[in-house]
Amino acid sequence: MPFAQLVTSGIELAMNQLLKLDDDSQQRLKKLSGKSLQVTIKELPWPLLFSFSEQIDVRIVLTPDSDSEPPCEPVDCLIELNLETLPKLKDSSQLTQLIQQKQLSLIGDIYVAQTFSALLKDLDVDWEEQLSRYTGDVMAHQTFTTMRTLFDTAKSQIEQGAIELGEYLTQSDSIAVKPSEMIEFSRGVSDLRSSTERLSAKIALLEQAKKVDTGLNN
Amino acid sequence: MSGPDTNDTPASTHTSEPSTHFGFKQVESSQKVNMVKEVFQSVAAKYDIMNDLMSLGVHRLWKRYTIDCSGVRAGHKVLDLAGGTGDLTAKFSRIVGESGQVVLADINDAMLKVGRDKLRDKGIVGNVQYVQANAEALPFPDNSFDIITIAFGLRNVTDKDKALASMYRVLKPGGRLLVLEFSKPSNEMLNKAYDMYSFHLLPKIGQLVANDADSYQYLAESIRMHPEQEVLKAMMDTAGFEQTTYQNLTGGIVALHRGFKF
Ligand SMILES: C[S@@+](CC[C@H](N)C(=O)[O-])C[C@H]1O[C@@H](n2cnc3c(N)ncnc32)[C@H](O)[C@@H]1O
Repeated sequence: MPFAQLVTSGIELAMNQLLKLDDDSQQRLKKLSGKSLQVTIKELPWPLLFSFSEQIDVRIVLTPDSDSEPPCEPVDCLIELNLETLPKLKDSSQLTQLIQQKQLSLIGDIYVAQTFSALLKDLDVDWEEQLSRYTGDVMAHQTFTTMRTLFDTAKSQIEQGAIELGEYLTQSDSIAVKPSEMIEFSRGVSDLRSSTERLSAKIALLEQAKKVDTGLNN
Repeated sequence: MSGPDTNDTPASTHTSEPSTHFGFKQVESSQKVNMVKEVFQSVAAKYDIMNDLMSLGVHRLWKRYTIDCSGVRAGHKVLDLAGGTGDLTAKFSRIVGESGQVVLADINDAMLKVGRDKLRDKGIVGNVQYVQANAEALPFPDNSFDIITIAFGLRNVTDKDKALASMYRVLKPGGRLLVLEFSKPSNEMLNKAYDMYSFHLLPKIGQLVANDADSYQYLAESIRMHPEQEVLKAMMDTAGFEQTTYQNLTGGIVALHRGFKF
């Protein structure tokens, strides 16, 4: 099976699906219409070629006999980078900085790279809205509020943990965990656990509601 | 529809009419066009869903591979020959953009119509032209296209040499032809399994989904009768193509042949 084509079709499907979920992105995609961008990731065997129209098409550039001339297609913009630099592209304002730091090389129209990076970064999918299509507004809202609380709690606990860890590391003498710290930590864990349980009960309810719903529809 | 028997019955002894194969049957050349037409007329409506079913969706990857090898870019003029329901055309159309053009040509108006409706639904208009044409006598001026693709089409053409010559004529110097077609699996085991699949399972799926076992029996037979990799490569060379190469896909079930006109 042509493996590379399986990969590009996966990337293409995911990107276009995401764009469809964000109504505004279509407008932003228009700015790129007719342009093309080649991304060479040094660790990958083939460069990726993005063509923009009312959707994104993803290809690789191939010659059937791999030992013939290296693929070189005229594109509007060509960037070359390492895998580890890839996540940094999320912030389009960093592009010039990355170029200066020689972490990324760019030939052609920087506008194409910037717009593409902004397009992906600014994707604003209303997941609650998406879920409500299946479960109805109220359920979706409740689930999302719970999930958000849960995420926020988890996040603040992790952050708190990081601060404490930092403090702990700077106090070189404290190797053993103090009983009070242990109690605080356990309380945190048990808070997290009960939030999780609440969420899974809600999800179970949702599933049941959905079953009843489809049952009635049949 | 029964073609005249090749075994020296009086009917086949008149020499004026050359004969050719229609699947495993031997028929008069002039009849094959109509018989192929009947097949695709009858499968047109169910063609896409059958393609997905028969190949488990892998035909999409073979087509992607073809496009990846085509070197297509904005502004190109592409001929998607025997383009049928327009899978390749859709992608080409987005890539060549407003400054380019794609011609979807097929001998069969039913297939063209399904293709046109499908592409319109996808919002693909503007740079696509639909032309009913026989691959053996393409109605285009010399040196018209940067790229010609013929995907799963060549095996249905009666006079393949004539068709290849016609493609060579309308290709621009520097342009390339890509032939995607079923071929001969390189591995004996795979070959046997594939035979089982195409002669036993495929007509059954055809019967179930499209209510048309005969057409799918023809498809299986026509795949077996199609020239294998090296033979097709030699035919392309004879037609004038240069730097001809081919690549087996999925163990040689399908091969992509490529050739340039310089
Ligand atoms: C199996 S379909 C392939 C369609 C499409 N290219 C795809 O890959 O999905 C074969 C097509 O070849 C067309 N065809 C058969 N003989 C032809 C000829 N002599 N000239 C042009 N098209 C022909 C048929 O009408 C049919 O649409």
